[in-house]
Amino acid sequence: MPLIETTDIIKDYDMGKVKVRALNGINLSIEKGEFVAIMGPSGSGKSTLMHIIGCLDSPSEGSYILNNLRVSDLRKSELASIRNKQVGFVFQTFNLLPHLNILKNVELPLMYGGITYKERIRQAKEMLASVGLSDRLRHKPGELSGGQRQRVAIARAMVNNPAILLADEPTGNLDTQSGGDILSIFNDLHAKGHTVIIVTHDLNVASRANRVIRIIDGKIVDGDIAA
Amino acid sequence: MAISLRESVEIGLADIMTRKVRTGVTVLGIILGVMSIMVVLAIVNGMNKSTLRWMEERGGLNKIEVRPNWEMDFINWKQASFTFNELKLIRSLIPEAKAFNPQIAANRYPVQKSEISYDTQVRGVYPDMTITDEWEVQTGRFINYYDINNYNNVIVLGSTAATELFGNKNPIGENVVVQNNVLKVIGIMQTKYLKMQGGWGGDNALEYMNRQVFVPLTTMFKKTTLDQAVSNIEVKANSPEEAVLLRAKLQTIILNLKQGKKLFEVSSAKEQMDEMKQNAAIFTTIFVMIAVISLLVGGIVIMNIMLASVRERTREIGVRIAIGARRIDIFIQFMVQTILITSLGGVAGIILGYSILSLVGKYLSMELVASLSMIYAAVFVSVGVGLLFGIMPAIRASNLDPVTALRNE
Repeated sequence: MPLIETTDIIKDYDMGKVKVRALNGINLSIEKGEFVAIMGPSGSGKSTLMHIIGCLDSPSEGSYILNNLRVSDLRKSELASIRNKQVGFVFQTFNLLPHLNILKNVELPLMYGGITYKERIRQAKEMLASVGLSDRLRHKPGELSGGQRQRVAIARAMVNNPAILLADEPTGNLDTQSGGDILSIFNDLHAKGHTVIIVTHDLNVASRANRVIRIIDGKIVDGDIAA
Repeated sequence: MAISLRESVEIGLADIMTRKVRTGVTVLGIILGVMSIMVVLAIVNGMNKSTLRWMEERGGLNKIEVRPNWEMDFINWKQASFTFNELKLIRSLIPEAKAFNPQIAANRYPVQKSEISYDTQVRGVYPDMTITDEWEVQTGRFINYYDINNYNNVIVLGSTAATELFGNKNPIGENVVVQNNVLKVIGIMQTKYLKMQGGWGGDNALEYMNRQVFVPLTTMFKKTTLDQAVSNIEVKANSPEEAVLLRAKLQTIILNLKQGKKLFEVSSAKEQMDEMKQNAAIFTTIFVMIAVISLLVGGIVIMNIMLASVRERTREIGVRIAIGARRIDIFIQFMVQTILITSLGGVAGIILGYSILSLVGKYLSMELVASLSMIYAAVFVSVGVGLLFGIMPAIRASNLDPVTALRNE
């Protein structure tokens, strides 16, 4: 049983009178522990696919099974719990909450998961230590460099030990050096057995993955086979 | 399971702390509204309390008064008077009355003791005056029915009158002269005292009573002041409720006695008090309405700011949803924040209201009564405003689509 399995996923957007088909029959299967890059030009539908895989959005048609759960049938409150427990997001623009220090930022998923205060602090500190930021716990995101911020974001994404780590252009706002550092962290996580999915249009980034999926016009054009 | 209240409060406080000036300006309306409600209620409470105390000191709410109806066009005001027999008849018709005290008063009347002449109010009364005025003798005895029926030449002095006439000497058994009648002092009244700052008569609003002297009504009527007529009766019922009934009954009796001419006005303290309270209630309502309007305006301002805040924090909301916040979590977060802001305003309003009350109380010598229930009301109202005006922004925040929210710049 694959970790992620989508069958004929279609996603339509209502743009007033016109219907735009962002995804047009996606069949995708990702095993636990894979490192997958989803590539495609802008407007290809790769972000939409990522949102559906990350349970931020639901498909218009088709089925999506994540970790043996038919996600496409779930209600919104159940999706929230899946996002909390099964999915970790890393964004291009980091999306840390600017007025909270980084410890609080990393604590957030645990808070929404109903973990007690003491336990939250312990786990969040542990995660920040694993990305090398133990000495910055009380700093606000604005006081950190881009690379450091993205490391905080990874710590926040991983703190609930999710089934998949979803990264959307994680190095897009970083210089080559820090971008490389971040990709190394992804490689480390993959090596430890985590499932990592990166959405990118950068070949250098995609080359780090062990499988590349290409999307054009809402369809997978090749790559749904192990590279 | 939603995130705990503690966490919502923490989030809300953190946001308030990062936007101190904005929060301060936002809650101004609530602060002023709560403050004015406090001040108005304290003034009204104070007024009611001092009126009640005044009424109680003058015989309480069980008292009924019969006075000439000055709206009548009297040829001679003595038309509105009672004979001794009429008084006996009235008394026999209202056996349920606890006390019955017809009286005459002569103002600035000379009371003489050898070389001293003391001008004061001489009151001709019944023994029941001790009940109607809730006023007993300090020493000696008060006038009794034997004195009334026999036109006895006796007099009871108010405490100030006693010292003015006799100094430190014991006046009991001594004689004084009132209009060529030698009257024997049989008692001294207790000293009446009611502290009322800014009132008349110095510190003691009831000092005028201590200057009075009392003789049996009949003695006064027949012997001392021939010019007098009994036109005033004080009656006391057993309870304020009975007083209202007794007043109506007494009015009918007197009306019948005087062939249907409305020569007398019969009023009960309870009804007067109620009327005063009603008048006060009108003012209270108006002021409270103004305060409530200010609170509503304050609430609208807060709603506006919260809507702007939702827009400003759209991305934050998107991030929170992405990492697992449910709609209810977002809803509660914004709800709690709005209520926190209004409660903050409420607390500030209470503090400001108290400061104003103590200032006003000090400099205007007004009686202001602040009570704990006012604080409850203020807290209740400010939380209520938060609830009412927080719902819309909170719903808007919790209905945001995460994908769109995350794209928001």
